[in-house]
Amino acid sequence: MRLVKNLFVGISAAALLTACGAGGNDQGTEYAPNMYHSVAYEPYSQIDDWEAGRWVTSIEYPKLDSVTEGHAEYYNSNNFNPHKMNMRDPAPNTVSRNKQGWLPYRLGKDSLAYAAATLKNPLDSTASVIADGKILYETYCDHCHGAKGNGDGKVAGGAEGEGIKVVVNGETKTRNTYNGIANLRSDALKGISEGHIFHVITQGKGLMWAHGSQISPEDRWKIAKYVKTLQK
Amino acid sequence: MSSDSRFALLVLKTDIEPHMIKNFTSACKFFILVFVFAFVSSTSSAQEISTDPAAIKAGEGIFNANCKSCHKVKEKLVGPALAGVDERAPSIDWIKSFIKNPPGMIASGDAYANNLYKDYKPTMMTAFSSLKDEDIMNVLAYVKAKEAEVPKDDVIKDPVPGGENTEAGGSDLLNLVAIGVVIVLLLLVVTLALLISSLKRFLDQKNLNEEEKEVVHSPITLKSALSSPAFIFIVAFLVAALGFKTVINNLFAIGVQQGYAPKQPIAFSHKIHAGDLEIDCKYCHVGVTKGKSATIPSVNICMNCHNQIKEGAQTGASQIKQITDAYANNEPIKWVRIHNLPDLAYFNHAQHVVVGGVECQTCHGPIQEMEVVKQHSLLTMGWCIDCHRKTDIDTTRNAEYYDKMLKIHAEKKGSKAPFKVEDIGGLECSKCHY
Ligand code: HEC
Ligand code: HEC
Ligand code: HEC
Ligand code: HEC
Ligand code: HEC
Ligand code: HEC
Ligand code: HEC
Repeated sequence: MRLVKNLFVGISAAALLTACGAGGNDQGTEYAPNMYHSVAYEPYSQIDDWEAGRWVTSIEYPKLDSVTEGHAEYYNSNNFNPHKMNMRDPAPNTVSRNKQGWLPYRLGKDSLAYAAATLKNPLDSTASVIADGKILYETYCDHCHGAKGNGDGKVAGGAEGEGIKVVVNGETKTRNTYNGIANLRSDALKGISEGHIFHVITQGKGLMWAHGSQISPEDRWKIAKYVKTLQK
Repeated sequence: MSSDSRFALLVLKTDIEPHMIKNFTSACKFFILVFVFAFVSSTSSAQEISTDPAAIKAGEGIFNANCKSCHKVKEKLVGPALAGVDERAPSIDWIKSFIKNPPGMIASGDAYANNLYKDYKPTMMTAFSSLKDEDIMNVLAYVKAKEAEVPKDDVIKDPVPGGENTEAGGSDLLNLVAIGVVIVLLLLVVTLALLISSLKRFLDQKNLNEEEKEVVHSPITLKSALSSPAFIFIVAFLVAALGFKTVINNLFAIGVQQGYAPKQPIAFSHKIHAGDLEIDCKYCHVGVTKGKSATIPSVNICMNCHNQIKEGAQTGASQIKQITDAYANNEPIKWVRIHNLPDLAYFNHAQHVVVGGVECQTCHGPIQEMEVVKQHSLLTMGWCIDCHRKTDIDTTRNAEYYDKMLKIHAEKKGSKAPFKVEDIGGLECSKCHY
């Protein structure tokens, strides 16, 4: 009988412990959870529940007013920001600088013609700039404009224009594509300047939305150089 | 306008050839002749759309290279369907000048162009100023030819045996085979049991001595076997060992989130985006080559495509609508964080992805096949250290920087010794903890 009892205890302990592993929506048991929930702001870890982690709270966090208690251990948000975000926009009228000392690009979306005529690529056409441009083009443009710039990337439906097939509940459907993607080697675009390309990447044009937030100015100029070599 | 210029030409000609003025009537006849000829020839070359296969072929090439992304012949895409455009547009000349400069036509206040633009605002067609008149005529020839074509889909509408279908058929077959095998095995067991009992009965009818009887009717029954000490020991050992193993495993799983795959607020699928559509990881995770954090894409990056793609094949509009709503209301999307190191450790993406040249998949697993992101690796200190012990440094990327280090390394450990992350200090506590 003792054996049975011991076995029972062991098995139930094991069963209890299986609840510690992670999987699906369950994050699993954290060891020293305070360390996974940063006191300082951490990127992409916002917890705006005031009471989260009250059970492990060991510090008295500053009170908002005399009535409510200070926040609990896991809380990691800024009550004074929009959406309680940790992150803020830079202060108005400040200028961010990059290592080349370039000022931010200020031409608006509708200044394409002016940009195309006046902007000059500050980079030289060296092999390494064009090689970098190729890698960047393949990262940011390829899935829409296609590897060769023919406007036949996967998002445009691919080279055959077939689109991607998917079976949903036994029914074959074709995934939607993004229409109107320009063929960069078409006659209309053969002659565009590098400034034109830079402006289109930064501010977008027509159906193409702005990609300026994703790509640094230097990288945009590299891409512009590479697009010109594609168009040859 | 045009007749003016022709008249000027004629005058010019008469200047060069003065004998014509002498005979006014002949000059007049000549004038009329030239005028009529010029008019006829210009209209015939401008208004008539060729049915010549060569022209159609040339037109197809131009159409596919320049117009396909926005126009279809029979359906509306970004721009109107081009079928019948030669009849509905004011004139062929109008079409030519429009294609060469749509913004100009719209700005000039042309009524037809402005009406058209009203329907397609704010999309404006690209200007194709480099196309020649004959190119445009060839495109129109192609459009006309295509217009007359019977749609292929209606002719052959066969249920394509897709890859998925045959696959499903394959697994069904496997199941059937498995069930068949089980049935056959069960039948075998039953027949064997029947055989044994009939054999026993047959032997019992014979005159057997004690020894032989003992063999036939063995004293080791199920009950005696179950209560033997050997059996109890084996069972107890197995249960205890298994229990011990689960306890140890689970103790080690505390603080390890491997396998964590939370439901996200929007059913975003890496399989569709990174897998099928082959969008590069860095298109969305833009910070990964620049600094510590890989970053999660902001809403405007999703909108680069979902401003137009409003419905998904699997989830309809329900999920994508959340993106467009978030964008319209300027609200962040609250993605659930999956990978998370404790505060005490420092991990930098650029250091690994750019300098180390490690692929995302080495640490994050086959993300491009995941419908829901799952934590693939342990993310424990042992995991980091293990890789730092095993991975060679690629010194070719930044030879200038590594040359001195390699020299010192060779002096200390011999020129053949491998140059691992460990050897540049990848195991120093302070590189990861400070
Ligand atoms: C989401 C798909 C998409 C991506 C990604 C994309 N584009 Fe575009 N691009 C378009 C579409 C659609 C157009 C057609 C715009 C129009 O004419 O309305 C276009 C047009 C252009 C044009 C021609 C603009 C003109 O003057 O007519 C250039 C140049 C261009 N893209 C360059 C790029 C470069 C370089 C990248 C990579 C940084 C890029 N695109 C990424 C969709 C995309
Ligand atoms: C960037 C997308 C785009 C491209 C590329 C494009 N078009 Fe268009 N097209 C449009 C739009 C949009 C309209 C509707 C008018 C407007 O808003 O500018 C239009 C209108 C037209 C019309 C007038 C249709 C009517 O119903 O009267 C013709 C003809 C035409 N396009 C021909 C062409 C030809 C030929 C090409 C290729 C050489 C071409 N288009 C390339 C977008 C495009
Ligand atoms: C279209 C944009 C897009 C692309 C392309 C993309 N991702 Fe993501 N990724 C996201 C979004 C949005 C999330 C957050 C939602 C989620 O976890 O599913 C995410 C989450 C992740 C996470 C989990 C982050 C966490 O919370 O810990 C990892 C790891 C990841 N992506 C890796 C990759 C890799 C590797 C690739 C390339 C194979 C890739 N992603 C391509 C948009 C993208
Ligand atoms: C480069 C283009 C592109 C970008 C960027 C993009 N998507 Fe998509 N997305 C697509 C395409 C194409 C589909 C397939 C639509 C279909 O199934 O018809 C799609 C489908 C979807 C679906 C529906 C899937 C289904 O089958 O029902 C969701 C949800 C989605 N995307 C979310 C997102 C989120 C969130 C982001 C931003 C992190 C994002 N997408 C960024 C192109 C893109
Ligand atoms: C050497 C292993 C390793 C490689 C290679 C790697 N990651 Fe990570 N990734 C991690 C770790 C560890 C974390 C958790 C970081 C933390 O919590 O501070 C993480 C976190 C993330 C996150 C969550 C957000 C964040 O930045 O914390 C995303 C998204 C992500 N990785 C994407 C990528 C992509 C895309 C690539 C490839 C370009 C990549 N990772 C390559 C180990 C790696
Ligand atoms: C898949 C293999 C791999 C894994 C897993 C890995 N690393 Fe690394 N790590 C590397 C490589 C390769 C380098 C060397 C980069 C170089 O060439 O300088 C490196 C370098 C580093 C460095 C800089 C070392 C130095 O002396 O410059 C730190 C810090 C670091 N890793 C931290 C971590 C942490 C923290 C983890 C776990 C969360 C981790 N790494 C997991 C491969 C890995
Ligand atoms: C390659 C990076 C790396 C190096 C080098 C490293 N660690 Fe760690 N260490 C980590 C990571 C990542 C964690 C967090 C593991 C986890 O969350 O499970 C960790 C966790 C720990 C912990 C456990 C803390 C806890 O709460 O579980 C201790 C103690 C520790 N490290 C000590 C050291 C010491 C001492 C050294 C030097 C001999 C060292 N580490 C070197 C990456 C490193």
